[in-house]
Amino acid sequence: MPLDGWKERLFRRYLLYKCREERVRRHLRSRVKKLPAPDPGDGRRVRAAAVQVEIKLFKEPLDYVEEMHRLTLEAVEAGAQLIVFPEDNNLPLLGMLPGVEEAGKAVIPGDGEAPKKEPEITVTDVIRYVGPVVRPLIHTIFSTLARWYRVYIMAGSYLLPEGDRVMNRAILYGPDGSFIGKQDKVHLMPIEKEWGISRGSKLEVFPTPLGKLAFPVCMDATYFETFRILEKQGAEIVMIPIANPEPYNYWLALRGIWPRVQEAPVYGIKSALVGRVLGFEFTGRAGVFAPMELTPRGDGVLAELESPGKEGIAVADLDLEALQELRRNHPWRDSNEQLYQRYFSHLYQLYPYREAPPGAASPRPSSPGAVPGS
Amino acid sequence: MQVAALSLRGVRRDSLNHYREDLSALLKESAAALVVLPAYSALLLALETGRLAPGEDFPALAESYRAMAPEWNVSFLELHRDLARRHNLYLVCGTLFEEEGGCWYHTAYCCDPRGEISGRQRQTHLDREQRELGLSRGEELEPLPLEDLRLGILVANDVRHPETGRILALQGVDLVVHCGALPAGANPCLQVAGLWSQVQQNQFWGVEAQLSASLGRREFSGECAVLAPCEITEGQTGYLARSGPEAPLAAARLDREARREIMNRYPLLKLLNPRAYRGHLY
Repeated sequence: MPLDGWKERLFRRYLLYKCREERVRRHLRSRVKKLPAPDPGDGRRVRAAAVQVEIKLFKEPLDYVEEMHRLTLEAVEAGAQLIVFPEDNNLPLLGMLPGVEEAGKAVIPGDGEAPKKEPEITVTDVIRYVGPVVRPLIHTIFSTLARWYRVYIMAGSYLLPEGDRVMNRAILYGPDGSFIGKQDKVHLMPIEKEWGISRGSKLEVFPTPLGKLAFPVCMDATYFETFRILEKQGAEIVMIPIANPEPYNYWLALRGIWPRVQEAPVYGIKSALVGRVLGFEFTGRAGVFAPMELTPRGDGVLAELESPGKEGIAVADLDLEALQELRRNHPWRDSNEQLYQRYFSHLYQLYPYREAPPGAASPRPSSPGAVPGS
Repeated sequence: MQVAALSLRGVRRDSLNHYREDLSALLKESAAALVVLPAYSALLLALETGRLAPGEDFPALAESYRAMAPEWNVSFLELHRDLARRHNLYLVCGTLFEEEGGCWYHTAYCCDPRGEISGRQRQTHLDREQRELGLSRGEELEPLPLEDLRLGILVANDVRHPETGRILALQGVDLVVHCGALPAGANPCLQVAGLWSQVQQNQFWGVEAQLSASLGRREFSGECAVLAPCEITEGQTGYLARSGPEAPLAAARLDREARREIMNRYPLLKLLNPRAYRGHLY
């Protein structure tokens, strides 16, 4: 088994020590700012913040903790009750691994370049190796931040080992610091499939005092099915964490959450991981979206960051009563269940998907190529 | 293959001869093997050639149309079958209202280069006004043959419901045409949320014909466009051609190799997850 020699095991123990709960909590306690209790609201208006994280690799885990705290605090100070972090939010923690940048250059070349050498370790090997460190660290950081600031935090998504599989999993914490739920990415990008990531098979809605929340991941927003299923389960706010490894293009980025919000209709919050790391360029513009009928300019956008490559926070208020009223009295929406039953029951079966068996991942990640937006 | 969408702007409709003459000129100009006309074309032509009394509002016009439909629909279709045959092209001639089994439908027809009706498509999702008019929903979305391609048709409000495009895509449709009619001054985002989004999530080509005319004290105006997956269009916009509301047509050539390449490189439909949909969507 790769990364299972005595040196690797010893180093992981060192990482576990560096990331131990007590150390992280102590750090956060020293940083946390005393703020007045956030407005509990009337339960039908929600102030939401979409966080755009500019990626850096952190050698010291407390620097990552500090970064997450700083961004959370900024959102809290803007009055946010719901804060949304991006996909692959644990990528910065790979900086804890010695030589990761060099290894990245070797196996994930830029466009047109050939890999410098055949890697012996796969992406899923790395995820399995750091999983026992990352999982409790993430929990400690975000449950503590949620509790301290009495807000809901969708902590973003994380590549995490789960038995013999590796999932892309998003996590939600409540204002008492409790773990509310998880959502595994249901539609994978081709490169994730190539890496041997497994996909989830269930889309869930989590009822909270803020509203009915859901948080599928990135590519899930390319498929109308995701939002339709969530809408049928009563979702009001759908959060989409993204990490799009492609140069920014307005139209490509428009292919994800925006049309899904119009089709459903629901409120949508997109958080983005941006910047360059390990040979990838991540771009996106975090934003808060709504059905066109509920936006002042009629463009379906309540707030959106200007820069596709810089850190920032997009904040907007969501009126859940207005959403319900729109759903009750919609001018153009219709449903044709007979049509759907007639076709979908057999047509979906024509598209079987073959998941790579555990451990059968390609050892050589390729360039991600073009990706539908989220 | 060259395809085109017409808005009917600038086409004289005061007589059938003028209509035939002007439409013929545009069909020739388009140099297309497939041309799509917008929604309500039969109603518009009936009104402007004096077969329907003017001065009524749109719902009243649609109601009045019912009385003349059995006869007028035949004439309307004969006219367009003849145009398709003369110009040797496929012509999706817009829409009409028709009755069958006591139900009224909003239906688009496709005429082939032999002058035959190659297929029809009823609107499957109705907006509130159409439901109040007593229209019924179609319950089929079947591909039509178009040379060696498969063609799907979306009528009016169908385009805002993503189930329609997905049903067609899963049946292997290569090209989806849309007969549309948007109120003048409507939010331009509506079109992006319509066929543009359907094209992007299904990777078929799209041809969108939006009506540009006044009908029953209601102005219609939208943009005609030819659409493709972003990756195979200039600037990755998803548009191969777009007319703007002032121009009578949008035309473009479809590159089969480019579409095949992006579908292989980025196989969106193969990454569907039916297991997650079971019990919710089927």
